[in-house]
Amino acid sequence: MTDSSDTIRGIKDLPSTHLLGTGTPMCAGCGALEALHVIYDILGSKTVFVNAAGCMTLLSVYPFTPFRGSWLYTAMASAPAGAQGIRDALDILLQQKRITQEEDLEVVVLTGDGAAYGMGLSATSGSMERMLDYIYICYDNEGYGNTGQQYSAATPHAARTSTSHGVSGFAGYKKNLFDIWVAHKPAYVATVIGADPLDLAKKIEKARSMEGPRMIIALSPCPTGWDYDPRETVNIGRLAVKTGVWPLKEYADGEVVHTKIPRQRAPVEEYLKLQGRFAHLFEPERNEVLLAEIQARVDAYWEKVEVAEK
Amino acid sequence: MKRTLLTGNGAAAWAARLAAVDYIPAFPITPQTEIIETLADWIDTGEITGRLVTMESEHSMVTAAGSAAATGVRVFSATSSQGLLYAMEMLYTVSGWRAPFVLANVSRGLSAPITLEPDHNDILAARDSGFLQIHCASCQEVLDSTLMAYRLAEDERIRLPVIVNLDGFYLSFTREPVEIPDADAARQFVGSFDAENIRFRASAPESQAVAVLGGGPYSYFRYETHLAAINGAAVYDEIAEEFSRRFGRKHDAVEAYRADDADYLFVMMGSFASKAREAVDRLREDGWAIGLLRPRLLRPLPVVHLQKLLAKRKAVAVIDQNISMGMGGILHSELASVLYGRNDAPTVLASFIGGLGGRDISTEEFFEMAQSIRQAVETGQTPAPRLLYTQTELREVRKLQAIAQVERQQLGAIDD
Amino acid sequence: MYRIRFHGRGGQGMKTASRILGTAFFLEGYEVQDAPRYGAERRGAPIFAYVRADRAPINERGIIRHPDLVIVADDSLVPIPAAGVLAGITDHSLMLINSAEKEQVWKQRLNHSGSILTLPVAADVTERAELPYVGAACAGAAARLIGVISEAALEQAINDELSDLGADIVNKNLHNAVAAYRAMASHAGLVKEGSLVSAVDYEAPDWIDLPFDDARISAPTIHAAATSVLVKTGLWRTQRPVIDFDHCKGCWWICSSYCPDGAINVVDAKPVIDYDHCKGCMVCVAQCPSHAIEAIPEKQAKADEDAMRLEIGEIT
Repeated sequence: MTDSSDTIRGIKDLPSTHLLGTGTPMCAGCGALEALHVIYDILGSKTVFVNAAGCMTLLSVYPFTPFRGSWLYTAMASAPAGAQGIRDALDILLQQKRITQEEDLEVVVLTGDGAAYGMGLSATSGSMERMLDYIYICYDNEGYGNTGQQYSAATPHAARTSTSHGVSGFAGYKKNLFDIWVAHKPAYVATVIGADPLDLAKKIEKARSMEGPRMIIALSPCPTGWDYDPRETVNIGRLAVKTGVWPLKEYADGEVVHTKIPRQRAPVEEYLKLQGRFAHLFEPERNEVLLAEIQARVDAYWEKVEVAEK
Repeated sequence: MKRTLLTGNGAAAWAARLAAVDYIPAFPITPQTEIIETLADWIDTGEITGRLVTMESEHSMVTAAGSAAATGVRVFSATSSQGLLYAMEMLYTVSGWRAPFVLANVSRGLSAPITLEPDHNDILAARDSGFLQIHCASCQEVLDSTLMAYRLAEDERIRLPVIVNLDGFYLSFTREPVEIPDADAARQFVGSFDAENIRFRASAPESQAVAVLGGGPYSYFRYETHLAAINGAAVYDEIAEEFSRRFGRKHDAVEAYRADDADYLFVMMGSFASKAREAVDRLREDGWAIGLLRPRLLRPLPVVHLQKLLAKRKAVAVIDQNISMGMGGILHSELASVLYGRNDAPTVLASFIGGLGGRDISTEEFFEMAQSIRQAVETGQTPAPRLLYTQTELREVRKLQAIAQVERQQLGAIDD
Repeated sequence: MYRIRFHGRGGQGMKTASRILGTAFFLEGYEVQDAPRYGAERRGAPIFAYVRADRAPINERGIIRHPDLVIVADDSLVPIPAAGVLAGITDHSLMLINSAEKEQVWKQRLNHSGSILTLPVAADVTERAELPYVGAACAGAAARLIGVISEAALEQAINDELSDLGADIVNKNLHNAVAAYRAMASHAGLVKEGSLVSAVDYEAPDWIDLPFDDARISAPTIHAAATSVLVKTGLWRTQRPVIDFDHCKGCWWICSSYCPDGAINVVDAKPVIDYDHCKGCMVCVAQCPSHAIEAIPEKQAKADEDAMRLEIGEIT
């Protein structure tokens, strides 16, 4: 377990006992918690998590916390600013020799997509332009999950949410937060998913070895908000990658690299049909237009990737 | 110690310097900006060692201020008006964290319509936030109060953030002679900040500002914050006493000017109170037994002092440089609450609204308010709340409205 | 006034049950209050909902302290103090428990001198998709026990409340609810309206002046690590994953890494499931490549466990 600095090469190097405390009020089968517990195993307890309003606000409910390190709850819009204050304060304390290096902490922001894609984007942008030395983890369950899955700026096209109930689901398109973050030229940006713990662990380990803003988006399948049996969390996550809906990639040193290219992409409907939020695309009859549009968008993305690769 | 000319903003910056603050999250806003410019300058020239970071909003600024204080360093920040309101969510939040730091607020009227000149609606919007509040009437007070504010904030009986309020323009940009204490003396007075067991260290993991479920724990945490704020009244008196011993300037929780034998009192906060002082002097020359009360401490409200100081007066004119829409002057309401049910309460507690958006209050208007409350005692009729506003002013507004092509027939007639 | 409390798990349709009963009362001409009570907990966690009904306008508000009727949709909640099933129960209170066990067993177990009935209609439901149907059956049984709600009003209430879900689901709920309603025929009207609080003979609140605690004590700060393990989220589980070590290949990383709650650790090269905290999502069952983890109903697992402990003499 824990603060091992051994490099993770294969699945056998993944931690076999876990650092994040059990007993949290996250839903059974929570895809965000699945990613977080692996991330926490890698980052270890010499961390302070700075949290914004979202599902994970409730990780720590007095007097219960799952963290073996530290935590601060801020507000929906300003977790990166909270990270700024802590990082600066720790640096000041180190500089003035009021604490030893041993007492230092890695500052980690944890927010949902509601904060990351919307309300907190200004604070995030500010932290990147100031080259704040921290890690940002966005658990992206593609909607305001804690309030019952209303659509957010991260909701994919056509998904049914509690504020997009119509026959065509959500009319908008998922915001490209990865590119927005990359445009700031931070130290590191990566997409991850709990269903690929090895890719996830490698990226977190890489992020940990760097300095500056290190930005992670974890697509987080959500049994409650996406309406599926909790046992399917990993299957759905894996399909998100296999169908090309969720590209696993990273940005460092000015380059975007895809860490996993699904050469034989499965049709997107394999991913969609497992989720109640897309059921209206299949019943009472198939919505061929929308299905084709979603597929075409995924295809177009990967065509560009392939062209760029050549 | 040296005596020099300083603006209110300069005095605030000097106090932050003397308190040897470690960290200054900042965001520019008129009329506060000079405070952070001054501090940034000193950091650039190496005169002070603190770290200043310009955030992307006041909301972020107060978040960073709170989280740095929650990590265990001494923090100073400054804002004004819209900025204070933009940060409002975090004011309530960081006081709940019990993060002690000092925030200077340069008062300015609130939008809409947007304006640059001062009144107190911005600072009073933060009245219930858990920040303690000190209101200043001179540039010297800005400096002294800021030093005292660190003692208040960091006292283990309190441990809450404190706002030091100074009026935009009338203090912020106005130079007055200010005594700057020696750095050592100031340092000795302020002491160092011990974060105790509320701070982030690798060896002692802790989860701060966690959620609660249910009204029982929530009531406990909120009421304890209230009890800590209440403690501020007695602690303030101690600190003011010590400050006076060390520096020879006494800043009582409520300034009482020529009030000992006064039958009549003006009550007001902030820099315009010095105008009231002037009016008191003129009225005294004319034989009036009149004085002024000026609450410096608004949160906690120095209830006992106020009850004592207001007891057995004939009449009181409360002049509010703020307005609670649909109710009226906020200080007036607070004093009514302080006095309710007391046998020795003044029979007349009259409400005047003046100085909104920096609107001047003339000495003659103070005289007229004095007449008004004396008459009220004679007739036994407390006057209706009055906005200090003249026919001339309305006429000027009518001219503006005409240019703005407001429907002519909608404009009321003005008696010439 | 009737005061009724529904206890269940998130996802079992307790809010729906309270709304069906509330609407049914309303259709019978009653003034009504119905409300769910949300906590931080999610699907599978204990929740409750309540209904008040009276001929006169209702001034009471919020949680029901002394219920006339308590309906427990999931009998595994009864012994959990945090679920509050037994809170404020008096001799006057009727308890209706969805349980395969006999009423007499519950009476003895709870030492309850009031009435206890078990609900024979909504048998054990282990499939999560079936859970919402429990709520309608509970509402149906409650309606009959109260005795002032007609079958027609119950049916109308179900139609009103569930119409958005489509005809199939409405019909299935109607079927379950009506069956439960009829099953309670012999107990119709057993629930008696509770009395109002007396202003003469009452227990005074033990108010105190809250003492000042300084921030070292009174800040909302937890000065410790991983205290969440004290929360037994294993109670959320309706199904239990069980590892068959004859088939487990000891790959160890798959179930352990995928378990969202980190409730599977590897001890001596074998995965061990922490049943105190496993929420029963069954991700491990779905992911185990050698199909060595089986999902069995929690009740059956508990019964097997008790039998085992009996056998080895741990309990008598």
